[in-house]
Amino acid sequence: MTETEKFSIPIGPQHPALKEPEHFVFSVDGEMVTSASVRLGYAHRGIEKSTENRNWAQNLYLLERICGICSHTHALTYCLGVEKLAGVEIPPRANAIRTLVAEMERVHSHLLWLGVAAHEAGFDTLFMYSWRDRETIMDLLEQLTGNRVNYSANVLGGVKFDVDEELAGAILDGLDYLEKRTYHYLDVVTTDAAFLQRTRGVGVMSAERAERLGVVGPTARASSVARDVRIDAPYAGYDEYVPNLIGHTTGDLEARFEVRIKELFESYRLIREILATIPEGELTSRMPRRIKANEAFSRVEAPRGEVFYYLRSNGSDKPDRIKVRTPTLCNMASVLTLVIGQQLADIPMILVGVDPCFSCNDRMVAINRGGRSEEVWTWERLRQYGIDYYGGSH
Amino acid sequence: MRFGTMFSDIVSSLLRRPITELYPVERRATPDRLRGQLHWDWEACTGCSLCAKECPAQAVDLIVIDKKAKQFAMRYHTDRCIYCAQCVVNCRFGCLEMSSDEWELASANKDPFTVYYGDEANVEAALADRAD
Repeated sequence: MTETEKFSIPIGPQHPALKEPEHFVFSVDGEMVTSASVRLGYAHRGIEKSTENRNWAQNLYLLERICGICSHTHALTYCLGVEKLAGVEIPPRANAIRTLVAEMERVHSHLLWLGVAAHEAGFDTLFMYSWRDRETIMDLLEQLTGNRVNYSANVLGGVKFDVDEELAGAILDGLDYLEKRTYHYLDVVTTDAAFLQRTRGVGVMSAERAERLGVVGPTARASSVARDVRIDAPYAGYDEYVPNLIGHTTGDLEARFEVRIKELFESYRLIREILATIPEGELTSRMPRRIKANEAFSRVEAPRGEVFYYLRSNGSDKPDRIKVRTPTLCNMASVLTLVIGQQLADIPMILVGVDPCFSCNDRMVAINRGGRSEEVWTWERLRQYGIDYYGGSH
Repeated sequence: MRFGTMFSDIVSSLLRRPITELYPVERRATPDRLRGQLHWDWEACTGCSLCAKECPAQAVDLIVIDKKAKQFAMRYHTDRCIYCAQCVVNCRFGCLEMSSDEWELASANKDPFTVYYGDEANVEAALADRAD
C-alpha cells in the first residue's frame, strides 16, 4: 500500500470529553492530528430573535441567561448598551457595584475553569479542591445579590443591591482565604511534574498567530497579545479601578493557566480597592420605557474575553435588533489550528485551554439550501416551526 | 519540578468532615437577600400593573376587579417565576417582597405552583372569572 489512508475521528455532539454539545472531526495519522473541523449550532436557542418580542427590561433577564457562568457580564454589556442608547448616566456608586460583581464573577469563573481544566488533564485532586474553594466566592455572591448564579444585580439604569459594612467585611475575609489558596494553586500548576507534562509546550500559539486569528481574553494574553477591554476601552467603574494587564510570553497551556491564576490576584486587589473607596450616592438613574430610534454597541471583558453587543432601537419599548458575540467564537479558530501536529490525547486540554462556552457561542444557524434565496422569519413562524418540528401540540 | 504538590491538602483533609452538607437533614441558613417566593401586600397596591408588564416570565397576573374601589387580586405562578425581583424594583409603593425563607418550592403536582393573593372576596371573584 503506497497511500496512507486518512482516519477521521468524530467527537461529539455527545461525548464524555465535552460538557456541551459540539461536533468536531479530527483526522489523525497514528496519534498525530493532521486536520480539524468544527460544527457549531447544537445549542442554538434563538435568543437574539426572542429579544425582539420582549421589552427592554424583560430582555435584561433573557440575555443574562445566555451564559450561566458569566451571567453578570451579559447583563452588564446589555445594560451599558441600552443606557448608551437612551443617553442615561449611571450613578458612580452603581458603577462601582457593577465592577465589584464583575470582578467577583471573574474569580468564580477562573476557579471553575481551573477545576475543569485540571479534570481534563486527569488531575482530579486539583479539580475537587479548587471547586471547594470556589464555594467561598459563590456564597459571597449569594450574600451580596441573593443568588449563586444569574445574580440579577443589574437593572436598567443602575443596580439593585447595595453593599454595606458587614457584607464588605465578609467579602474581605473570604478574599484573604482565597488569596492564600490561589498562591497554592499557582505553585501547583507551575511546579507539579506530572501536571506540567500535560501543559508545558502543549498548544503553543505565537503572538502573530493569536493576532491573525483574532483571539481574545486570557488566551490572547498568554500569547503576549496585550488585549483587555477593561484597559483598552474602560467601562462601568474600570476608569477608576484600573486592572494591570497580566501577560505571558510562552503561549502554551501552562501560560494560559498562569495568566488566569494571576488574574485572580488582580481581581482580589480590585475588589479590595472598590470596597475601600466606594463612592456614596444613589443606586439607580431613571430609565425611559421607550427608546427613540438609535443604534449602539457595547464591549465588556468577560472572564473568557471580549463580549460584544450591538443594539438597535426603533422608538418602541422593544429592541429592533440585538446582536451578541461571545469570546468562545473568537477563540474557536485557535483550537482548530493549535491541535494540528499535536497528540490526539492533548485535544481536550487544548480545547479547554480557551475556556470554551458553547451554549453562549451558538447564535445563528445558516441553512444553505443551495440557492441564493434569503428570507426572514417572523417570531411566530419560527415558534410554530419549532413546535411542529418536535411534534408538539401547544 | 516536584511530585505530589497536592499531597498536603489530601492529608489535612483526612481528619476533617466532608465539606458538603447533609441536606435536608442539615438545612443551612439562607442569606437575607435570597430571592424566594413573592409576596404581595394588597392594601398599598394602586393597580398600576408595572409588576406584570415587565415580568420577563409572565409569572405575575394582576387581576383588576374594580380599579376605582381598589379591588385587585394577584395570581402568581411560582413555576414560571425566575426570581429576578424586577417586579419588586418596579413597585413604587413597596407592595412586593421576596421571601428569603420560602425557597423549597418543589412539588409533585402542579396545584401549589399557582398562588392567589388578595382579599378573600377579590380572590374568589378572580377564581370565578377564571372558571368562566
